[in-house]
Amino acid sequence: MFGGLLAAFACSAFPQQEEKLISGPGSTLTETKCKICHELQHIRRAPLSRGEWADNLKNMKERGTPMTDAEMSVILDYLSTYYNREKPAPDPSPDTLAGASDDPIQKLLGTHACAACHQVDKRVVGPSFREVAARYAGDAGAAQRLAAKIRAGGQGVWGNVPMPPNASLSEADAKTLAGWVLQQN
Amino acid sequence: MAKSNKPDASRRTFLTGIAGAGALASLPMAQALAQTEPPDTVSNDMVKGEKAKSMQWHSERPLTGSVPAHEHDFDTTPNDRMFVRNNLTTPLIDLKAHRLKISGLVDKELEFSVYDLAKNFKTVSMRGMIECAGSGRAAFQPRASGTPWLDTGGMGCPLWGGVRLVDLLKAAGLKPGAAHVAGQGGDPGLVPSAAPVIRSIPMAKAMNESTLVAWAMNNEPLPWVHGYPLRLVVPGWVGSASTKWLHTLTVLDAPFKGTYMTSSYVMPRVPVAPGEKMPPLTVSTEAWPVKSIITSPAPNARTKGPVLVRGRAWVGEGAVDRVEISSDEGKTWQRADLAPADRLHPYAWRRFEYDYKPQGPGYVSFLARAWDDKGNAQPAVSQWNPLGYFWNGWHRVGVVVEA
Repeated sequence: MFGGLLAAFACSAFPQQEEKLISGPGSTLTETKCKICHELQHIRRAPLSRGEWADNLKNMKERGTPMTDAEMSVILDYLSTYYNREKPAPDPSPDTLAGASDDPIQKLLGTHACAACHQVDKRVVGPSFREVAARYAGDAGAAQRLAAKIRAGGQGVWGNVPMPPNASLSEADAKTLAGWVLQQN
Repeated sequence: MAKSNKPDASRRTFLTGIAGAGALASLPMAQALAQTEPPDTVSNDMVKGEKAKSMQWHSERPLTGSVPAHEHDFDTTPNDRMFVRNNLTTPLIDLKAHRLKISGLVDKELEFSVYDLAKNFKTVSMRGMIECAGSGRAAFQPRASGTPWLDTGGMGCPLWGGVRLVDLLKAAGLKPGAAHVAGQGGDPGLVPSAAPVIRSIPMAKAMNESTLVAWAMNNEPLPWVHGYPLRLVVPGWVGSASTKWLHTLTVLDAPFKGTYMTSSYVMPRVPVAPGEKMPPLTVSTEAWPVKSIITSPAPNARTKGPVLVRGRAWVGEGAVDRVEISSDEGKTWQRADLAPADRLHPYAWRRFEYDYKPQGPGYVSFLARAWDDKGNAQPAVSQWNPLGYFWNGWHRVGVVVEA
């Protein structure tokens, strides 16, 4: 009932926390999926065995985490490599699984784990890119506002789930993404 | 802190209403605006504004917090010291619109407003323990999966007010085969796919006279985070049995099958080695084993004369038999004075006191060990289990005796 008002509050009020996991193959996807519901300290402070992580992921899937079997297996490999109680974590390395594509748009979507919550034509956690494009069709100022919102995060326009800020996304890249999203109509 | 007075005032009016006077006041919705959580939820800041400064927050999402043992030196836990443990968010529920439905294996399905409950059933007050299954988890070595609760604090013994669950079940009439009662709460998740929090308890516990559908905590309406406007209170059992924001009770012929029954709040049927994963055969966590904490003095307090060691002891089912204190690392144990059991409040924790007379200056550590009436004692270290439940190892508090 006060969704609009909330959206106005959301940008300034959303905590600007830069919570990170150790960088490595799968870290971006893991961060994005786990952060939907809880802080990453829940992972960082209790390394587990691979078997325990597998149970944990199954539990989280049951509790409602939107993730595919393929995504679960990436996350399991990542967690049991970097947060394993039985062996020390390897040195941080680039997340080679994020943004592996040659296509610049796919690379941006992957690097910033957009796909964890958004797909082109299907609702996952947030709206599909097609829905976003449809809503702002014919709105001349939409590209600029959308670019700002992709960076700042937001809440209330599409439902209860807040979209986290993407502080590491440059303004130029945000504009590129916003422009692409608005073409998905 | 966005501490707001208005909703408090509103909930106070609500209590007056229950007592028979005054009209219903609904929560002023405008108070909910300055929040960062989803709409129709109460922000963490507003929850924290109602809590003691000494509350330690273990997690923001989901919100989890407790006070240390020396802040628990009360026979009746005040609202601002009661631990916080959510699975999802804290919902903002409209009292007037709220209904409790009773369905499943019953002769007739019933639906009550909070007022209907207060008007139609005998209202009771019951002082009783609720303790999170993971209370004390941080003491397990190696660290178990889940929120690292301190080894003290994730429990409390407030005075609950409401009606007996058994009276509601009798009013609905149980059909043959009724064996479990599942409670469902209205706490929303952060994703639409979030599984609802549903837990069930066996009929014997549901029919126990101390098991309540409660709307009051220490003679005030339930604080938001403790289930406003209605919750189950299943005293002595793991906290998750006491469904907060209760809106549906379903009578079943078997335990409810859902993630909060089968994947959480379970322990290995046969103990496993520390660090092993959950075996296929598990049991549901129910009543807490015997436990005690030293609530005074505070850790590392400095003292010159005799020390009065005081604490609280409880057990999930049955009775505490005795509490012993050791001041020599467990070599010898001395019996503490234990407050008599309260017949009307069998699930309340009990105070114990022990006068320690120092032989001379130096550092002395006190250990507390409670026994129940079945001969069970608190272990030095609790049996490790993958989800870190039921820590009830000896509590230790050291003080400095000055010359």
